[in-house]
Amino acid sequence: MNKLRTEITKGEEIRFISHLDYARAIERAIRRANLPVAYSEGFNPHMKIAFASALAVGVTSEAEYMDVELKEAVSVEQFIEQLGRQLPAGIRLKQAKYVDQRTTALMAVVNLAKYTLVVPVHADTDPQSLQESINQFNQALEVRYVRESPKGKKEIDVKDYMAEDIRVEIQDGFAVLAMTIKITPTGSVKPGEVLHALVGQFALNVAEDGVLIHRTGLFTTDGTKAVPPIDLQ
Amino acid sequence: MIKLDPTIMNRVTKPARYTGNELNSVKKDHNRVKVTVALALPDVYEVGMSNLGLKILYEILNDRSDTAAERVYAPWVDMEAEMRKRQIPLYSLETFTPVKDFDLVGFSLQYEMIYSNVLNMLDLAEIPLLAAERTEVHPFVVGGGPCAYNPEPVADFFDFFVIGEGEEVIEDVVAVLAEWKEKGRPEGRNGFLKRLAAVQGVYVPSFYDVSYHNDGTVATVTPNCIEAKPVITKRVVKDLNTVKFATKPVVPYLDIVHDRIMLELFRGCTRGCRFCQAGVLYRPVRERTPEKLLNIAQQLVENTGYNEISLTSLSSADYSHLREIVTGLIERFSDKGVSVSLPSLRIDSFSIELAQQVQQVRKSGLTFAPEAGTQRMRDVINKGVTEQDLEQAVGAAFRQGWSSVKLYFMIGLPTETDEDVLGIADLAYKVLHLYKEIKGRRGAKVTVSVSSFVPKAHTAFQWFGQNHTAEIERKQQLLKSRLKDRGISFNYHDSRTSFLEGVFSRGDRKLGQVLLAAWRAGARFDGWSEYFKYDVWLEAFEKCAIDPYFYANRERSEEEILPWQHIASGVDKEFLVQEYQQAIQECFTPDCRRDTCSACGVCPGLSVEVLDWGNQAYE
Ligand code: SF4
Repeated sequence: MNKLRTEITKGEEIRFISHLDYARAIERAIRRANLPVAYSEGFNPHMKIAFASALAVGVTSEAEYMDVELKEAVSVEQFIEQLGRQLPAGIRLKQAKYVDQRTTALMAVVNLAKYTLVVPVHADTDPQSLQESINQFNQALEVRYVRESPKGKKEIDVKDYMAEDIRVEIQDGFAVLAMTIKITPTGSVKPGEVLHALVGQFALNVAEDGVLIHRTGLFTTDGTKAVPPIDLQ
Repeated sequence: MIKLDPTIMNRVTKPARYTGNELNSVKKDHNRVKVTVALALPDVYEVGMSNLGLKILYEILNDRSDTAAERVYAPWVDMEAEMRKRQIPLYSLETFTPVKDFDLVGFSLQYEMIYSNVLNMLDLAEIPLLAAERTEVHPFVVGGGPCAYNPEPVADFFDFFVIGEGEEVIEDVVAVLAEWKEKGRPEGRNGFLKRLAAVQGVYVPSFYDVSYHNDGTVATVTPNCIEAKPVITKRVVKDLNTVKFATKPVVPYLDIVHDRIMLELFRGCTRGCRFCQAGVLYRPVRERTPEKLLNIAQQLVENTGYNEISLTSLSSADYSHLREIVTGLIERFSDKGVSVSLPSLRIDSFSIELAQQVQQVRKSGLTFAPEAGTQRMRDVINKGVTEQDLEQAVGAAFRQGWSSVKLYFMIGLPTETDEDVLGIADLAYKVLHLYKEIKGRRGAKVTVSVSSFVPKAHTAFQWFGQNHTAEIERKQQLLKSRLKDRGISFNYHDSRTSFLEGVFSRGDRKLGQVLLAAWRAGARFDGWSEYFKYDVWLEAFEKCAIDPYFYANRERSEEEILPWQHIASGVDKEFLVQEYQQAIQECFTPDCRRDTCSACGVCPGLSVEVLDWGNQAYE
């Protein structure tokens, strides 16, 4: 077997599709590209591709990672060329590399995600007050957040998942927030949830509904150095 | 160009319904084409995107260098609210152009319960609802699809209709439009419509005056200009092998209703079920050749990347070279992870064998449509299926390892007695017991799905008085009380929806005002039970002093002028009258596909012929 690790994007054109939609779109592109991809055995064979982390509806990304298993090896150049031509608008294949077949699944190695959130600031808001809200969040020891889902309510501490302080900049009417979030085996927090907590509990004076979220990277970190999973040895 | 505020997209459910950019969508510069067409399906994206007819028209139109065709669907209620709040007009998904800026807006009218959505979309598009109120600045609004065969209830809202198959007529329409525009739009809107009226299959309702008798029935339908023909005959494609098919359809991101390749094996079905409107409208049967189909499938797999090919036709199992096609498709595509599926199974062991071959997912079960519970009733509707056929087919399925079966039936059919209704339950139990007999244990799951019969225009039952809702509900309860086994699940349709569908399917022009009143009072997405507001409709009828029962529940005489009499499907009235009599006498009429012609009139009348490779050779 031949396992390829790829770095791909999710662009503005497809910002509002779900992770499942995204995965399906890539699957179809691989099929169109006539690549010798491997399928699982059984009644309902599915293509052997695996992603590092799901991306929510409304979130774009600079760098997503996907492993693809091929029945027979093709050169990396050929793979990039053939698949690249079939990808729909909004998905770009940035790089691909063969990795060891037994290499740990992407899902298990990625433990850090970086995001940029661009969110409209309410009129006549003092930039200082925005910075103040962020400071307070950064200094808080814990930030309780109740996550509601069809399965019920669950309380989490947002700070458990914040790897670094949030940074904020103001640019023509928008607040640009940079966040680094931990992905742990027991869970994580979504950037939208962090924003919700900032608005609700730290009086961040922004129009939350108008936010545009962009994932700038996914990494593996041992606490000292963050490495994209495609650069892992 | 409409620019969407992310605030809206962050708020609505499934925002990808509104953001376009799908693979194979075609974006053209409107300044470089002669004609722009918005193709609309008045339902939500996932339903609209699943319509095969529109996919075909989209491709035919966009293959023309002088035409741009784009898609538009009904925004879901949450999106509608946002659009109204911010005064965003309805726009197309390709170039985000307001629908009102197109030359032509075409609605595919698949069934009557989406009429309120048509009005709602026109309103969102800022196009006057009434054709009579549109001016030079507005697009022409055209309707097509099965409902166009009785367009009268929505006649006020459309500039024209296209009756029949669209592949060829759409190009005629575009040609007339392009020429009229180039000549400087002589005689304004009416000038275009008059030119268009010469095209076969085009119906311009404003060119006809309708008068009524005192009892409310139609007295006359009279052309009011020389261009209008007394009868509008449907368009029909002689040979499907020579027209374009959708080989490069838009591939959605969202999981739509039919999210797979749709391979149309043939058009038409002449089994002659007397309740079936499609069986009349799409006559005669015309098959594509196996070679053509394999070729189309190849292009579709290459252009879409879908992993499933669904063999769609009115009765796919009747295709003359089905085994050859199925085997051919599996051989060609299985190593690409592409599977084949048959949406409808004929009730025989051949179909089970095929289902086995294509390895249809077992858990979803097999679906059969005996349509009626007793042999007598099946003879009335000309469903040439016996209990033995069903037992054989289901038995074969159980032996092959299937354990769940879905059975489709109808109630409210002409001459139906309680015995016929209860026959449905008997059949369900027989299937249940058959499993035990074969397997030696319980464990079958039988789903009995019962719809209420709605008589449709142009069928043998077009004169029949539909069962009242109370009668339908009584029959539903009767059946429910008999279907108590935990191995059987029973579902049935809302009788009120069927009633309303019945009103509009055989209605006349007077219903336009009711539709308008109901839409004003909030009717939309009537086909979605959670949004169906029956009270709103009843109030609208009352307000307009229109009796809905007159349309749905009244038995018509054969002499009565039916509101759609000037629209011709090609099937003679005499044939339908005779079929209604045959029904009452419980007599069988054979399928003309491989048996003798039953002289319905289509072939000689429209100079077409049956194309079936089971009894004739092809080149
Ligand atoms: S004219 Fe005869 S062969 Fe043609 S569709 Fe009618 S019954 Fe069939």
